[in-house]
Amino acid sequence: MADFLSQYSIQRWLEMCPQGYLEDTVYGHSPELKEPVILVGNETLREESIRTTVQLVVGERCALAASSGLVNAAPDFPSKRFLATQTLDEARHVEIFTRRLFDLGVKEDDLESTLDEFANPNLVKFAEVLLEKVEAGDFIAGVVGQNIVLEGMAFSVFEMLEAVSREANPKFAETLTGTIADERRHVGFGENRIGSLIREHPERKADVEKMQAEMTYHMLATFADSFRGNAAVVEETRAVAAAEGFGPETAEWHGTDLAAASPEEMEAILADTVLGEFKTRLGRIGLEYQSPPVPA
Amino acid sequence: MSEFDPHALAEEDFLEEVRSVDFWFQAVDGYLRDRSYGRVDGTPEPVMEAGERDNLITTLCNYCVGETAALEASSGLVVIAPNRHAKIFLATQVLDEARHLEVFIRRLSDLGVEDPEHEIELRANPNLVRFKDRLLEFVADRDWDAAVFAQNVILETMEYTVFRAHLQDADPVTAQVLDGVVKDERRHLGFGENDLGRRLVAMPEKRERLAEVRAELDELVLVTFEEVQDSVGVERSARADLGGEYLAAVERLGLT
Repeated sequence: MADFLSQYSIQRWLEMCPQGYLEDTVYGHSPELKEPVILVGNETLREESIRTTVQLVVGERCALAASSGLVNAAPDFPSKRFLATQTLDEARHVEIFTRRLFDLGVKEDDLESTLDEFANPNLVKFAEVLLEKVEAGDFIAGVVGQNIVLEGMAFSVFEMLEAVSREANPKFAETLTGTIADERRHVGFGENRIGSLIREHPERKADVEKMQAEMTYHMLATFADSFRGNAAVVEETRAVAAAEGFGPETAEWHGTDLAAASPEEMEAILADTVLGEFKTRLGRIGLEYQSPPVPA
Repeated sequence: MSEFDPHALAEEDFLEEVRSVDFWFQAVDGYLRDRSYGRVDGTPEPVMEAGERDNLITTLCNYCVGETAALEASSGLVVIAPNRHAKIFLATQVLDEARHLEVFIRRLSDLGVEDPEHEIELRANPNLVRFKDRLLEFVADRDWDAAVFAQNVILETMEYTVFRAHLQDADPVTAQVLDGVVKDERRHLGFGENDLGRRLVAMPEKRERLAEVRAELDELVLVTFEEVQDSVGVERSARADLGGEYLAAVERLGLT
């Protein structure tokens, strides 16, 4: 364990992150890049971008509260040290996505009301399930909830958004690329550190799996709201973008062309990808994926 | 082009700037780049007598107690911080405190300590441990004002003062490590005084509560000061000034 945890030192984090892939960026992107004019100027496109970005801020605020809250619950210094780097990473993500809301025209004074207006209620419940475990000082459940479930979801969502934005919005795509690199590190820690703790405490499996099923339920409900439940808006946004000549001709992700896929198809590919990752990662730490009831 | 001066910004823009992760990246880049665990590669390990080495180990162990307190307190404060600027700043402080612990533990290993965590427990100053326990109680009670005062004013002033004094006489490697830590502590002190100063102006009734906290913690702080300075070897004649820095910080907040 000691060798694996030594890979998560702050020295290494400094070299990889601020002195590595984030070098020469400002709020996560090259200084010269801006939000596309069409995105800020067209009300339909702008509102959809705000809606999407609000979900990212809500998720990252949850991750910041969870990672900082888990520092004190961590059983050893190397784990505390890793969680300190994750705390800073999550704070950075909150900062860059909040900054994007400002770039999209949200006023500082309207930030909280905008978050309240657009935050998906199921995503808020998803966060509450995790933060309840963190608040109780439950390190094992907290790390599984945060570094496997939340980060696993965020990882795929960011990848999907990056694929769609790569051509049309390089600023947002660059911002996402840095966060994806961070999330990869976080997921790796969760898998490596928790595997040994689950082996030491097999009696915790049922409780942790129950939490995973509950979080998964709210995650799938969030996806359903965002695609099927929002299909008319998604289609309208796509039509407006096409009329303005904005957006990629194709955006391939996991074998699906996101530029042409229906909202139902997009939801299906995202859910399948995330659940596939969950099964693999949970299996690696000795847990069995639990299917939640399908959201209505 | 003239150099960027954040103090020229309006208040809200100033907070947006200086309590950002981006600002932190730029700040630490100036003094952490090209260092490994706080030390410049190639600096030779100094030769020390056994007694001198043992004193340094005791001192570093107690620095670790202080840094552990700061790590656990700052991480606990993130969730109760009253606004997003404070949350972001505290997240950078969490990273700083964990780094301090990392570089001091590494220094202990350099000095031949095989199990630093065990050694820290053995050599921990009981007054500092009591201070840590009390600080963490404030955090657990979600008492923002008391916790920020205890951590970012009292503890940080003590560390800042002791580390700077130690820096004057430290061996070259320890001095390099302390140099980076002191630069971080200055930022933390600035946050504590700025945040509390603003809140005390807006809510002067909080002054009385913080004066009580100060009265409770003063003895622990000053005794710990004395004992740590004994182990560092600070001259008696210099000690009044060190205590004076702590007293000046609390007086700036009007907590006399």
